[in-house]
Amino acid sequence: MVEYSQSAELDRVFSALADPTRRAILQALTRHPATINEIAKPFPFSLNAVSKHVMVLERAGLLRREVKGREHYCWIEPYPLREADAWLKKYQQFWEQRMDALETYVARKFKASQRRTKHGNDR
Amino acid sequence: METTADGRHRIVVRRKMPAPREVVYQAWTDAEGLREWMCPGDIVSAEAKLDVRVGGSFHVIMRSKEEVHEHVGVYQVVDPPAKLSFTWSGGNAGSEITLVTVEFIAHGDESELVITHEGFAKSQRYEMGWGTIARKFAEYLASNRATD
Repeated sequence: MVEYSQSAELDRVFSALADPTRRAILQALTRHPATINEIAKPFPFSLNAVSKHVMVLERAGLLRREVKGREHYCWIEPYPLREADAWLKKYQQFWEQRMDALETYVARKFKASQRRTKHGNDR
Repeated sequence: METTADGRHRIVVRRKMPAPREVVYQAWTDAEGLREWMCPGDIVSAEAKLDVRVGGSFHVIMRSKEEVHEHVGVYQVVDPPAKLSFTWSGGNAGSEITLVTVEFIAHGDESELVITHEGFAKSQRYEMGWGTIARKFAEYLASNRATD
């Protein structure tokens, strides 16, 4: 069942990344850790709305939060992003490789069928 | 990386093919052909069983020296020679179910192939009845093991 839980994690990561605001939050955090207030500053949303986005990122494991006094500090967690990237790279490579083989295969089949047609017409 | 607004993750591979789309479509739907091109590189043997109709399943096993790769799926769209769409999953029942769509575009004696491979956000998986498909997979695998 390890694979199943991995795929559920990937689902959460990709869902979290599907939202442009959440992608912008992550991008801002790649520069340096920030408090929720600092994160919210460039956005035209309420602090509450930004808090919810941060929670989604946290649940996806993309963001880590630490409470110091009254402030919540947020860090980006790169590991799930690498996992998501690995998924995409794996299948990209898989299909590219198959397409090379398919190209060779159909070229041969097509030439063979043309030869057959030509012989057929000669008769 | 590409994610869409609805939370899917997907890759798209486009490739020109040196044969008409009918020939390329045939290569995807003929077990003999699929076995040959699906298993390049260090793959030493392969088996393929295809039941190409909507709701029909396929089963491809590739063996390299160290590993066995097993893929199963159910055809969702069968529209010769223009389009094929099927679910795609590793053989073990717990592994992720994804969707592969293959479009065959005609360019005279040549053609173009567009493969879109998508994963799904969990909520959508249930909305779209993935639970049912997963059960079908399990049954299919169980019946296959019984005949082995």
